[in-house]
Amino acid sequence: MASPKTVPKDAQVMMQILKDMGITEYEPRVINQMLEFTYRYVTTIIEDAKIYSTHAKKSSVDADDIRLAIQCRVDQSFTSPPPRDFLLDIARQKNQTPLPLIKPYTGPRLPPDRYCLTAPNYRLKSLQKKVSSFAGRITVPRLSVGAVSSRPSTPTLGTPSVQTVGTKVGTPVSLTGQRFTVQIPSSQAASVKSATPTTPTVQNVLINPSLIGSKNILITTNMVSQNSSSDSTSLKRKHEDEDDYDAL
Amino acid sequence: MAAVQDAPMELDAEKETKPEILSDGTSNLSGNTASGTLSSPPLTAGGAPKQEDQQTLIAVLQFLRRNKLTESVEILRREACLEDQEDSQTLDGSGGGKGDGDGGDANSLLSRVSIASAAAPQIISSTSMYDQPDVSVVLSAYSQQGDPSLYQVYYSSLKNFIESVLDCHRAELSQLFYPLFVHMYLELVYNNHENKAKAFFEKFSGDQECYYQDDLRILCGLTKKEHLKGNEALLDFRTSRFVLRISRDSYQLLKRHLQERHNNQIWNIIQEHLYIDIFDGMPRSKSQIDSMSGSFAGETRREVNKAKVFYGLLKEPEIEVPLDDEDDEAENEEGKPKKKKTKKDSMGSKSKKQDPNAPQQNRIPLPELKDSDKLDKIMYMKESTKRIRLGPENLPSICFYSFLNAYQGLTAVDFTDDSSLLAGGFADSTVRVWSATPKKLRKVKSAAELNLIDKESDDVLERIMDEKTASESKNLYGHSGPVYGVSFSPDRNYLLSSSEDGTVRLWSLQTFTCLVGYKGHNYPVWDTHFSPFGYYFVSGGHDRVARLWATDHYQPLRIFAGHLADVTCTRFHPNSNYVVTGSTDRTIRLWDVLNGNCVRFFTGHKGPIHSLAFSPNGKFLASGSTDGRVLLWDIGHGLMIGELKGHTDTIYALKFSRDGEILASGSMDNTVRLWDSMKAFDDMETDDFTAATGHIHLPDNSQELLLGMYHSKSTPVTHLHFTRRNLLLAAGAYNSQ
Repeated sequence: MASPKTVPKDAQVMMQILKDMGITEYEPRVINQMLEFTYRYVTTIIEDAKIYSTHAKKSSVDADDIRLAIQCRVDQSFTSPPPRDFLLDIARQKNQTPLPLIKPYTGPRLPPDRYCLTAPNYRLKSLQKKVSSFAGRITVPRLSVGAVSSRPSTPTLGTPSVQTVGTKVGTPVSLTGQRFTVQIPSSQAASVKSATPTTPTVQNVLINPSLIGSKNILITTNMVSQNSSSDSTSLKRKHEDEDDYDAL
Repeated sequence: MAAVQDAPMELDAEKETKPEILSDGTSNLSGNTASGTLSSPPLTAGGAPKQEDQQTLIAVLQFLRRNKLTESVEILRREACLEDQEDSQTLDGSGGGKGDGDGGDANSLLSRVSIASAAAPQIISSTSMYDQPDVSVVLSAYSQQGDPSLYQVYYSSLKNFIESVLDCHRAELSQLFYPLFVHMYLELVYNNHENKAKAFFEKFSGDQECYYQDDLRILCGLTKKEHLKGNEALLDFRTSRFVLRISRDSYQLLKRHLQERHNNQIWNIIQEHLYIDIFDGMPRSKSQIDSMSGSFAGETRREVNKAKVFYGLLKEPEIEVPLDDEDDEAENEEGKPKKKKTKKDSMGSKSKKQDPNAPQQNRIPLPELKDSDKLDKIMYMKESTKRIRLGPENLPSICFYSFLNAYQGLTAVDFTDDSSLLAGGFADSTVRVWSATPKKLRKVKSAAELNLIDKESDDVLERIMDEKTASESKNLYGHSGPVYGVSFSPDRNYLLSSSEDGTVRLWSLQTFTCLVGYKGHNYPVWDTHFSPFGYYFVSGGHDRVARLWATDHYQPLRIFAGHLADVTCTRFHPNSNYVVTGSTDRTIRLWDVLNGNCVRFFTGHKGPIHSLAFSPNGKFLASGSTDGRVLLWDIGHGLMIGELKGHTDTIYALKFSRDGEILASGSMDNTVRLWDSMKAFDDMETDDFTAATGHIHLPDNSQELLLGMYHSKSTPVTHLHFTRRNLLLAAGAYNSQ
């Protein structure tokens, strides 16, 4: 700890306050943090008080303004836990309902999906682009955000029309949740080998494996592969995708 | 609060009767004046001196009336023109409420009354708890207004009295000092007598017991009424009643002294704020009192700890152990007394008799056993055959897991029951799970890959695991504040973590992702614990309540409210029917899961409680706090049965060995100590007197009970865990400073 002589006066005051409150051991940076907080708090209050006093058309800021400013800020930033009688009251209400029975054999016991964090938080948007405009590899952006780490498999095989989730073949079981749209560039010329260029391909959205909570595995995928030829390409593509992920 | 609300009913009834009693002669005056004395709000702004006189006049009137001097009453009324009082006689609480803080002179009469009423100081509704304005009361109140230094006089005179009393009574009556001191100080602060309050504090704070020093330091900083508003703990202190246990003889002494002195100030405080639990018998000695006191709200009333608690263990389900195992107890059905897992089940399980102290199997709904759970149980039984029998001659080996490079950020640790996984919660809001065995951590493959595996193969459960990302440890990100509590589920599928951000998160250990965030506490959650059967978990936090959740409900099932300060430690009883919480208010409460009632209330610690542990047979509880003592409690009788002194710093880890013979405690003083819990529990005597009055005389045998003390190299011990074979694992973060 810096010697008291070389320390600025504010810091000395803060050290004295800490000593008065019985705190004898603290890291040296605590004083800086406390001073920063003090400065920020006091300036906020005084600024608010100035606003109130000009609103009341007073010539100078007085104690009432400060008091009002403190009161308003306290309700905003420094909330305290509810009072005891309130807690006792809600506890009484809550504790009256009997404990719910447990349904047997329900797999992972989780709240309704709305209250879980297991939903994909992205949604794939369709991109109506022409076939030959792109060449090169598919670059699929990495999409592991929070709990969801599902990634779309090879999007297109042949035709470039990348369609949104939920169309045509095999509606993916996508759960509601926060989403952001991801644009996936359309497929590449390299993959135009498929025999059926006109079949609409489906975006294969994989169900995130985080639904799988226990040893009772639910393997729900929704992969649709159009034809056998696409399988090999899809496999190959998958590895490429992984490389892409690393690159990104 | 019920207590406060009932009071006005009674006093209203009193008020009705009082005028009738008084109005023997005068007809029209009694009702008015009686009520007039009570309300007298300072309606006129400059009416302060008038109010004073009116108070005196009213008091004199009452005095005359009581002595049946009716004619004098009439004359006085006429002369003092007391008719105008009839306007100001509305018993509006708001007027009275305003009177308390404005420095008006009706203050002192009402202030004492209004302090005791409703919880929030801003909304004092002084319709509650009006005292009958005694002459002496009014006069003393009157004289107090300008002279709060009388508080000092009262306190000093009480001090002198107590010092002059017989030795045997002195210890008991000294218990009065602290609550009286705090209440008087708060009254002075409340009435804006800041300087007097400070002088009072300086003069008498040094006399208080050392274990109240922390509270006194907080009080020292509160010098204005506004300071009181945000401090929930102190508000609760003011409204709840401080419990004292005094023998009848001492109490009679005290009462006689106070009443003959007409020292109503102290008597009133005692009546309003203190609850004196009188018992018949010998007065307690200082050491006995010291061992039980120290909590924020005094001690426990005797009847609080009398409810029946089912502390026995649930019957184990019958599981057929497959015969092809190499173990020789293959024929053994579950629950046979061969294994020394539990002491309670040794007799009863064979004959399938219900243990009278054990709860019914279906008292609370518990999840059924799945096949995987049955396999786990079989594994558990096998391991327990290989368990080392511990004792004073046979101490466990200790394996210490030191977290390096944690930079003082390790805030929580937990082990799975089979000691295969270790989780650490950190101040940078991450949770990290390690494998404590050579087997690496694997997560389930993504759905794309899962589609490709052969689902019919025998080892499908291995095939679904992703080998490519297998690692020693996995990080779990999601919290937005330091993680203060972690807990594994018994089936090793889930991990719970509680954090300063107010949420409890459920993580899947199959996919190492977050499944649910349970929001309920809006304040830091200090601890969380899974039930021994899974499905339920409990969390406790800064909002002074503990909540019981089930994994499939997004709202808590039970709220355990009652503590006066933060709940710092929460644990389930081995039979999952009870939850114990330790708090910063230095008390421990045992709650019934079925209906949320507090069934046991233990005081005695002198500092916030940070660790709790149940003995494996469910009968006893051990608790450790910042004062460095481990206290042992008998749950059935509700008594303290042991005190283990030795640690010099906060005890953050407590664990009983698998058979309950050894209690291990780990503390911030970098040591792990082993205590002989068998001996500690055997030594306890529960004769009728002890059970009835709750007096314990604790032998000071901490040294005898200490079996071993092991130092680590500057690593405070954060967690302790006995493996199924009774090897002791300890965890802590290496502190290089």
